[in-house]
Amino acid sequence: MPLSLVYRQFSLKRCCRYISVTLLIAWAFSLQASSTEETLYLGNSGEPGTLDPHRYNLRLEETLLNDLFMGLTTFSAQGQIVPGAATSWTVSEDGLTWTFNLRKDLRWSDGTPLTADDFVYSLRRLMNPQTAASLAYFMYMLDNAEAVNRGKLPETDLGVYSQGPHTLVMQLAAPYPFLPERLLYPTAFPVPQHIINKVGAAWTKPEHWVSNGAYTLAHWQPEAFIEMHSNPHFVDSVAIQRARYLPFANEQAAYNRYRNGELHAIASFPANELARVEKNNAASLRQSPLLSMMYLVFNTRRPPFDDVRVRTALASVVDQNLLADKVLRSGARAAKTFTPEMITAYQAPPMDHSHMPGDLIERAKRLLAEAGYDAKRPLRITLRHVSGNEEKRVNLAVAGMWRQLGVQTQLQHGTMNAHFADLRQGEFDVAWAGWIGESNAEHYLGLLASDVGDVNYGAYHSAEFDQLIQQARTHADVQSRNKLLQQAEAVALREAPVVPLYSLASRRLVNPRLGGWYDNPRDIHPLRYLHFATDQPRP
Amino acid sequence: MRLPPARYLLQRIIFAGVTVLVLVSVVFVLVRLTPGGPFDGERQLPEAVEKNLRAAYHLDEPILQQYLRYLSSLLTGDLGPSFRSKDFTVNELIAAGLPTSATLGLLAMTFALISGVTIGTFAGLHPDSWTDRLLMALNNLNLATPTLITAPLLVLLFAVMLSWLPAGGADGWLHFLLPAIALALPFSGAIARLCRGSVVDTLLADHLRTARAKGLGRTQLVMRHVLPLSLLPVLSYLGPASAALLTGSVVVEQIFAMPGIGRYFVEGALNNDYTLVMGVVVVYSAFIASLNLLVDLAYAWLDPRLVIAQ
Amino acid sequence: MLTSTRLFGSTGFALVSLALILMLCLVGPSLSSWQPEDIDWQSIQTGPSAQHWFGTDLIGRDLFVRTLEGARTSLFIALVATTVSVTIGVPWGAVAGFFGGRTDLIMMRIVDGLYGLPLILIVVLLVVLFGRNPYLLFTALGAFFWLDIARIVRGQTLALRQSLFIEAARSLGANTRQIIWRHILPNVAGVILIYATLTLPGVILAESFISFLGLGLQEPATSWGVLIADGIYSMESAPWQLLFPAGLLMLTLWSINTLGDRLRDRLNRR
Repeated sequence: MPLSLVYRQFSLKRCCRYISVTLLIAWAFSLQASSTEETLYLGNSGEPGTLDPHRYNLRLEETLLNDLFMGLTTFSAQGQIVPGAATSWTVSEDGLTWTFNLRKDLRWSDGTPLTADDFVYSLRRLMNPQTAASLAYFMYMLDNAEAVNRGKLPETDLGVYSQGPHTLVMQLAAPYPFLPERLLYPTAFPVPQHIINKVGAAWTKPEHWVSNGAYTLAHWQPEAFIEMHSNPHFVDSVAIQRARYLPFANEQAAYNRYRNGELHAIASFPANELARVEKNNAASLRQSPLLSMMYLVFNTRRPPFDDVRVRTALASVVDQNLLADKVLRSGARAAKTFTPEMITAYQAPPMDHSHMPGDLIERAKRLLAEAGYDAKRPLRITLRHVSGNEEKRVNLAVAGMWRQLGVQTQLQHGTMNAHFADLRQGEFDVAWAGWIGESNAEHYLGLLASDVGDVNYGAYHSAEFDQLIQQARTHADVQSRNKLLQQAEAVALREAPVVPLYSLASRRLVNPRLGGWYDNPRDIHPLRYLHFATDQPRP
Repeated sequence: MRLPPARYLLQRIIFAGVTVLVLVSVVFVLVRLTPGGPFDGERQLPEAVEKNLRAAYHLDEPILQQYLRYLSSLLTGDLGPSFRSKDFTVNELIAAGLPTSATLGLLAMTFALISGVTIGTFAGLHPDSWTDRLLMALNNLNLATPTLITAPLLVLLFAVMLSWLPAGGADGWLHFLLPAIALALPFSGAIARLCRGSVVDTLLADHLRTARAKGLGRTQLVMRHVLPLSLLPVLSYLGPASAALLTGSVVVEQIFAMPGIGRYFVEGALNNDYTLVMGVVVVYSAFIASLNLLVDLAYAWLDPRLVIAQ
Repeated sequence: MLTSTRLFGSTGFALVSLALILMLCLVGPSLSSWQPEDIDWQSIQTGPSAQHWFGTDLIGRDLFVRTLEGARTSLFIALVATTVSVTIGVPWGAVAGFFGGRTDLIMMRIVDGLYGLPLILIVVLLVVLFGRNPYLLFTALGAFFWLDIARIVRGQTLALRQSLFIEAARSLGANTRQIIWRHILPNVAGVILIYATLTLPGVILAESFISFLGLGLQEPATSWGVLIADGIYSMESAPWQLLFPAGLLMLTLWSINTLGDRLRDRLNRR
């Protein structure tokens, strides 16, 4: 179906259009570049709460911020980590001092030069308690970061400083080899000090907007659209000059509007439709496994989930393959380990109770009986999950699997916010949870350490596990870190504080006319690499 | 016909104001009773950060002081900052969303009134005729179909399959057509049913027999004697209908992805965005109160006996 | 008058449908070999077949059994809520309308005030404060729906109060109670009936709306609203998931509305 965006907007003025068609054609021929002026319409998965990189919270905000800003490192068109504002960096022997060499041609979108001091200002602003940045902990590896964030040290004590306008130094508290990956997040983006000092919190308004990314904010109509225009001072040229992101909390609405030719690409469509899309819309379908882990967590504070026999019995009858291939059918991949299998640098240990399905049920029943639960005294569980069709399917199916053991499961669902708030406070028996994250094992296994705080929802505590994680954190090189993490994961799988379920897959619809689009496991598609297929490919 | 006296008018306006005040107070208390704070969604917050957040929104004050602060800023027309949308105040959000919601609501109400009164009067003038029965059977089918079924069906048919109209958004008047029809359908059904009933009743009334006996023509009879009286129940239905219309617009705005305040309301309520919910309630209740005021006045205008009785 | 031609018209059809639906609700689930919570792992989201008459839902549960299970819940909820609303609404409206003046003003301002609270917020708050207890929730819904009835009864009473026959009755020495009971209520009975029948579908629709927002009953319990919300999601890929629950709901509502109309006509003709 051809895109008919222009038709729709101007259909009232159809008569005028016919009259002016000749003029338009003449004009189009005189200005050959005009085809690149077409606005790109993209669906995003919801309305952003903020466009301040230090106060952001959501993945859908990252999508927008990646087009508006550029950090020290950035994404390639294929979603790989590549140098961004920094051209190169060096790490000291002990892994504690990172020195970044910045590009010399960096400018804000108002033309003001951007220097290392802007990065220093930005990281200090991130840690300043006044900013109330909820994701400040992303940069806690910086020396003194946590103390500054808690208001116990002045922000000048933060482990980041400049050496001249083009050199930035970061001092870490402990080795952290994944720093370049962490710098991809908006928390490490530079913000325009000269504007914030002038207009304060209003700097995120389109009329004051200044940023260093490929695009600048032109309009923001809440719940309707965010319009971006290309930034003339960006270090590269871009093919798409204007783009609009439309918020869709409802996948079906995005799917409908895409099929009606109102959008060039959407963030996702209802999983149910996958089979039909494969048949009717195959040219538009873009799928990719997503770096993520969806899992069930047992609240080990509450009996009987403090009993490893109960946890093992329940975990052993969950059939991940059935969930992913038969129940979900969304492209999600069954997970048998807590670390996503996409992380190639890390080899996860195998789960030990995944074989011999024949007497699996009997064995699980025996375990439950040992713990004191049988047909006469059935185990009753409340299983909590986030509202949503996919989540409902999975959890209903899990309840069905547990029903084979005579376990009675009541489901309870709530909004994302309410659900995770209760999880952090330990208000649950068993709950569905998820983590979309980085390409390193630590990012996931860290969730089970007892010093990580309330994101260890089930309050799992194992001295053996903790010790292995602590040990891993002292190593500067990834390989020796991973070896210890592998042992830690084996411990966690044996004690089953969580049940890994599946890794998500992104499923997008993208107009085939849109070039420069590469599927990748971070599902990141910066605007600056895209172009309409009729355009000349960029040099 | 004469206008209602000024005292009556003043009385009604004062009551409309008091209604809004009571509503705002009740919702204020109810919303604050809800467990869960507005910052629940955020991940681990160090104490210093959380304290700053609460202070910035005056959540650290006693509830009475918060209430007074809210009322006083309300008087100056300030609905405060939004919890969830950190870059917009509630005023800005409502200013952005209200035109969409108001256009949608007015359009739907107009559709509903025109089609409902037409169908109802037509059916009522020929009670028990073949057309009456067919119209009412279809009308009942319409009443039996929830908006959340008709709306997606309309999108599927007219946008996705036929590609005649946009499937969502609010970028031009064409975008409002499908949602307004989807929203209007159940109300058109309810109005048609009410209108038919009261037309039948009115036709049986004594004074009409007199009028008929005096030899008034049929058109004159309907326009001058039947319609004004039979529109009374329709009028008194407009108040509740507009409240229900707001509820319906939440579904429609969701399905058609329209940037209206109905969507703010649901998201705000589900995410404990106190100030946004309150702001929408203020707008809603001011709207409903003024609509009820208009209905009262129209009632008095159509049936002056009521005012004299008071 | 109930003539034979009418019996085969829409009224008759409505009566027969309602009776059939009620009977299905009572005996239907025992006709099928499936239990509402049984999962058929071999046929997840499959269309109607000899094994599953209405097909299966998103995780392979029998839709026939679940639709009837949902019907039971929804109808029960509707009956409870309607009873509550009539019990509160009729006396309230009649008293306000008859006495008029200050009494009326205060009583109706309370009604107006309650109208101004959007239904959704009340439901959201109730869900959060009381948890998801279906009976409590929908009794509360009924306590909201009485507003319609009170308003209508009041409006009619107000108009009737001025009419000649009431004045005649008053001049003959009838007291207030007698006038309300003997003259006003019988005359507004038709309207009460219409609004009571309008309340039944109203509650069922409200329930489906609440389920659409994801605030309805919690699985594995079900209702028409929950089933329809699931059905809308799978509307294109598994149309039977919407067709059967929505069809049954619409038939029920249509039948109730049609019967309500018919009753009203009969009352008028008396």
